[in-house]
Amino acid sequence: WLLATVGRAGYLKYHDTSTGEPVSTHRTRMGPCSVMRQNPTNAIIHLGHTNGTVTLWSPANSDYLVKMLCHRGSPINCLALDRSGKYMVTGGADSTVRIWDLRMYKETHSYYTRGGPPTDLDISQKGIIGIGHGGNATFWGPEALKVKVTSPYMGHKMPGCGPVETLRFRPFEDVCGIGHQKGFSSIVIPGSGEPNLDTQEYNTNPFQDTKQRREAEVRSLLDKLKPEMIALDPDTIGGIEESNKFARLERSRDIEDEANARRDAEGQIKKKEKKKMRGRSKIQKKLKRKQKNIVDE
Amino acid sequence: EISLLLTSQYIMVKVKALSRSAASTERQNSGDLRMQHRNLDPDHHPMARAREYTRAVTAAKIDRMFAKPLLGSLGTGHRDGVTATAVSRAALVPFVSGAADGEIRIWDLASRKCVAELAGGHSRAINGLVFDNGGQHFYSCSDDGLVRRWSILPSDTNDESSTTNNNSNSKGKTTPHGPMETWRIAGTFKSIDHNRSSDYFATASDSAVEVWSPERSAPVQTHQDLWGSDDTVGVVRYNPAERSLLAMCSADRGVGLFDTRLASPLRKTVLSMKSNCLEWNPMEPMNFVAGNEDYNAYGFDMRKLDKPLMIYKGHIGAVLTVSWSPTGREFVTGSYDRTVRIFPSRRGTSREMYHAKRMQRVFTVDYSADNRYIISGSDDTNLRLWKAQASAQIGQVTAREERAVRYRQALVKKYKHMPEVRKIHGARKTPRLVKKQTALAQVSKESARRKHDNRVKHSKPGSIVAKGAREKTVVKEID
Repeated sequence: WLLATVGRAGYLKYHDTSTGEPVSTHRTRMGPCSVMRQNPTNAIIHLGHTNGTVTLWSPANSDYLVKMLCHRGSPINCLALDRSGKYMVTGGADSTVRIWDLRMYKETHSYYTRGGPPTDLDISQKGIIGIGHGGNATFWGPEALKVKVTSPYMGHKMPGCGPVETLRFRPFEDVCGIGHQKGFSSIVIPGSGEPNLDTQEYNTNPFQDTKQRREAEVRSLLDKLKPEMIALDPDTIGGIEESNKFARLERSRDIEDEANARRDAEGQIKKKEKKKMRGRSKIQKKLKRKQKNIVDE
Repeated sequence: EISLLLTSQYIMVKVKALSRSAASTERQNSGDLRMQHRNLDPDHHPMARAREYTRAVTAAKIDRMFAKPLLGSLGTGHRDGVTATAVSRAALVPFVSGAADGEIRIWDLASRKCVAELAGGHSRAINGLVFDNGGQHFYSCSDDGLVRRWSILPSDTNDESSTTNNNSNSKGKTTPHGPMETWRIAGTFKSIDHNRSSDYFATASDSAVEVWSPERSAPVQTHQDLWGSDDTVGVVRYNPAERSLLAMCSADRGVGLFDTRLASPLRKTVLSMKSNCLEWNPMEPMNFVAGNEDYNAYGFDMRKLDKPLMIYKGHIGAVLTVSWSPTGREFVTGSYDRTVRIFPSRRGTSREMYHAKRMQRVFTVDYSADNRYIISGSDDTNLRLWKAQASAQIGQVTAREERAVRYRQALVKKYKHMPEVRKIHGARKTPRLVKKQTALAQVSKESARRKHDNRVKHSKPGSIVAKGAREKTVVKEID
């Protein structure tokens, strides 16, 4: 029921569509953004920016959670996430498609697209990566996410159809829909859809009748999550935290002090002496203040 | 599945792709069940924990919404405060209650109607009522020194039978329910209980403890000065498993065990305040719970009386009455503080507290034999029927509803440590006095704890030994 929108102003807005209330607005401060995807496991929004970075957002935080530099010097054209939430695939204007491990936020490998920069990406339920580049659509098998593969699973040429606008896999079917300059193509990619569905989840049953749909709607409304529950690790809910609040604060303060001490030792903080002109400023006093800043070992 | 033929210049490849048809998943008619599919892969269930937690919060709220435990009162109650009640041992429906003016009423629990009003049997307050093992008769004992036996079912020929007994009160009115027999002593009767296997019944009077047989007009056994003290015994209870074992509470703050076969007293444990009531656990017959004047109920193991098994805290007035559930898993207590509390036997705090604006001092509580209802009799002359599980639905529950209720209970149980769920689950509307007194008790407890800690901190290590609450309960043990 949470709708995330981002536009040319670069504002990421969340709305609750069941009540119609806006939930939160975040300034991305990175200019217009047209690439947005949701991580299915933790509902985190991934935004791809024109400076090649991908930022991760949650409605609860006013600032991004994670910022990754994915394509150096070229804007992110397209972005996709796999269903398990472990891998992210980004396509940049530098004609590369890079695969990122989302737990370590590190690149695992990359592919080069011939025929033009990738214009749209999608990962099917079974892990098949579909890339639309130039007038072609290339499909890489499910093992392409984990290891570097030498050749793709399938290719589909659409000569004269220009750059591919949108490429999306149909859920629970072996079908991929491609929108291009000359219209829409729907192609069969065997092995891309999930054969075994779960009717307990809302709106995943392609053959649900009216009563099932209505009940699913009511159930999904009852299970509506609070926006604060969206976090990088979805398993933090219901977990156990340290019971003693003060011990927790002390620990965090210790970590902070440690980090600050390290920074001071490296000499990064220079305590600038304030020029106090108010009152009587004797030269002696000035010298004394300067002496204070010297640390004698 | 359909097969595709992908032709290239050199090879022909047969490829299988997914194909779903509505015919395979649609149900054939409206009476048919709908197909349910399950995929246990966690990727199919994103944010399962968060959704489950949200459902747990909703479940706690629904539970509280449906928690309306008071069902009603039994008829119009009595004319004076209810002082004694008894549930039948052989049937669910008959229920008997006695009032402070000596009137006994027989109730039909299912319809909550009064079946018979037996007035004139006793002139003083009824102190004890107990059914016999067959469930056909019940005994009543009172401060006027009489024990009377009555019949649950009305009989036409009753005038003759009451005169067979030497001690019968021939002046008293007879009703279709009796009294069938009468036994008399010089003093007053405080309590009565019936043996679980034989015909004998035991009474506690102000001077002695007696064991009677319904065939004899004099007590079979009389025991005085037990353990060397002549204090009044207030409660006698037969053990449900061990036939000849009696437990008793006396006015000298003691709780003792007595063997009627050997006709000798066994152990006795003395607490710091008097115990008002005692009940054996029907499922764990070696354990019993005694409700005390010091606002607590103490659970004891009869084999080890030096320390209670559990201290049940919660009441802010003397615990006047105790009744076990037939499952032995929990018991209900009624107290002088106008509340009824249900305690699980393994936890020292109550899981539920019932109160009503018009309910005064609760003198009797009973757990119904089907583990569903609680009947409380109080000083305001009313007998109230409550649900044992406050949010349970009365009557026939469909399988689907039951499954839903069980799921919700399991959800709340799983997340009950979470602050939001705990707050909703434990929220109860408590009377102002109970809230205030409980808060004060907590403050004094914390203060005592802090002072003890300070004393330990500022004295020689090891000189102050902390004594647990359970160790401090028993003052003395007498063999």
